[in-house]
Amino acid sequence: MKKVIGLLVSAFLVVGLMSTSAFADAAKGQKYYLKYMKDGSGMNGAKFATQHTQAEWKALFDGKAEKFVAEYSKKYPGLDAFLKGDKFEKFMPDIRDFCIEFASDSGNVPSC
Amino acid sequence: MKKIIAPLLLGAALSSAFAADDSLKQEVEALKAQMAELKSAQAKLNVDALRAQVSEIKAHDAGDNVKFNVDFRTAYDAVSYKLNNAPDQDNGIWTNKLILGMAAQPADNLVFQGKLGVYKTFGQNNMDQTSMFQAFDWYGTNKPGDDSIKLREAYFIYSDDMGDVHYAVSFGRRPSLDGFMTDLRADNDAPASPVGHNISMEFDGASFKFDFDKVTGISGLYFKICLGRGYSNTTGSYSMNSSGGFSPAYVEDSANPNMDLAGLLVQLYDNGQYKVMANYFKAWNMMDINAMTSNFSTGQIFFGDVGDMTGGSLSVQVNGIGDGLSDFLDDSIFFLSYAFNKTDPKGTHFIPDGMGGGAMGTEMLGSSSKETGSSVYTGLQLPGIAKGQRLGLEYNHGSKYWRSYTYGEDTLAGSKLATRGDAYEIYYKLPIVGKNLTAQLSYVYMNYDYTGSNTFFGWTGTPMDPSTVPGAVKSASDIRASLRYKY
Repeated sequence: MKKVIGLLVSAFLVVGLMSTSAFADAAKGQKYYLKYMKDGSGMNGAKFATQHTQAEWKALFDGKAEKFVAEYSKKYPGLDAFLKGDKFEKFMPDIRDFCIEFASDSGNVPSC
Repeated sequence: MKKIIAPLLLGAALSSAFAADDSLKQEVEALKAQMAELKSAQAKLNVDALRAQVSEIKAHDAGDNVKFNVDFRTAYDAVSYKLNNAPDQDNGIWTNKLILGMAAQPADNLVFQGKLGVYKTFGQNNMDQTSMFQAFDWYGTNKPGDDSIKLREAYFIYSDDMGDVHYAVSFGRRPSLDGFMTDLRADNDAPASPVGHNISMEFDGASFKFDFDKVTGISGLYFKICLGRGYSNTTGSYSMNSSGGFSPAYVEDSANPNMDLAGLLVQLYDNGQYKVMANYFKAWNMMDINAMTSNFSTGQIFFGDVGDMTGGSLSVQVNGIGDGLSDFLDDSIFFLSYAFNKTDPKGTHFIPDGMGGGAMGTEMLGSSSKETGSSVYTGLQLPGIAKGQRLGLEYNHGSKYWRSYTYGEDTLAGSKLATRGDAYEIYYKLPIVGKNLTAQLSYVYMNYDYTGSNTFFGWTGTPMDPSTVPGAVKSASDIRASLRYKY
């Protein structure tokens, strides 16, 4: 059994070296939404994400999400400071993935 | 002759050139007319309307089906036990765990969620011959067994608003495994319904949730009433009676009690970074093996009602330590939880003395008094060496009379959160192909101060010093290496 464990641990380390870097995370995006955007928008994340289709969110978040920032700063003035701040730039890929994950045409069902 | 031919050829060439020019002009004119028509038609098109129509069709089609997902894990578990006055035991077990999820939302306020599960050891096994409790549906899809497909979750949620209070009503088999805090070690995107510290097992029931965040202004505040049945007292169809005839189907079977639970789950606060949750419950008719009616040699086991139990917990999770202190702390998670349970023995039942005899008495967890148990559970999840990797560290301690409902915890050497003693865990997970293929290595070590951590609620749960009981497990460990596919 010790040999098997040793082999598996070695394989795990090798896999760790080979693994691809992680990309944006919709679950993290949901948490960032709750922390930084829920109060400003006045709605929960599931409702927020269904405002657009996946293609529309992709277009809004294209580049550095300039279109999203412009539209949503105007639509929800409470989000203005966050959307134009440093934190948004940092968390944007995760928030983008969250919006796409639960877009109106995603077919994903909120678990409530 | 040449003089005549040359002008003739020139004339012919010129006349054909003029004819070609006319034809070209006509074609260009025709093309111009067609382009004008096209321009006119295009001008009449409302592109925005078309785009909206396509979006509507896509949204409809996406919602007009059952959405499936797959969660498949292959794992190797090395379990080992140190026994009192007996040789150590260890084993290596390969398993496959498949959870097939499904969901549908036919209307904005109506959701269905379901999960089927198969969690099996590699190849054939002899578990049915070695365990009388292998078929319990408290952990049917979260403990390895055979290759039969079992129901893990099936429930609908109807939600609406009563003024500023949003409410949700749900009936069915509950999402009650890997709840709040324990979802981190389970590497799930979101926690299931209950607080994982004291409840992590499969059961059927209902829930009624009321959001009070808008009314009170307290971020995330909700109350959820949970009802569940952990054991149904009924006969089956075509069951035989003592005289060899058929009993009426699905009538009450006096041998076993109905076991019920009602609880209140409160999310006191959740702003995305700080989350505070509490629960309080009462469970009726807790059971243990009825040694008078059971036949151990044939494996025919009956249960008896030994009493009621109350319990509760208060838990805090910090998702991102500090605010902008460093990327490392922003991406770190810390949690701390306290839970308790209190027994209420009732009824007179047979209590074996462990030496072939016994006497009638009233007791729970081996005591005729009302006993209180408690547990603390704390943990950290930190960013790993490379992006996307995570390191987890967890610790919990349970007291002499600690009893949790964590029978469904996916630790093969026994539930670590049920430990009457100290339990430690370290795990490391890493993405291989994004979030779709991940690997995890974990080590759980449990050091028992008392026996009975993973048993029922009567005499089998009696806490005893393991160093005084021959063959008792003094410590246990579980090393797991796994690969998991999720989509």
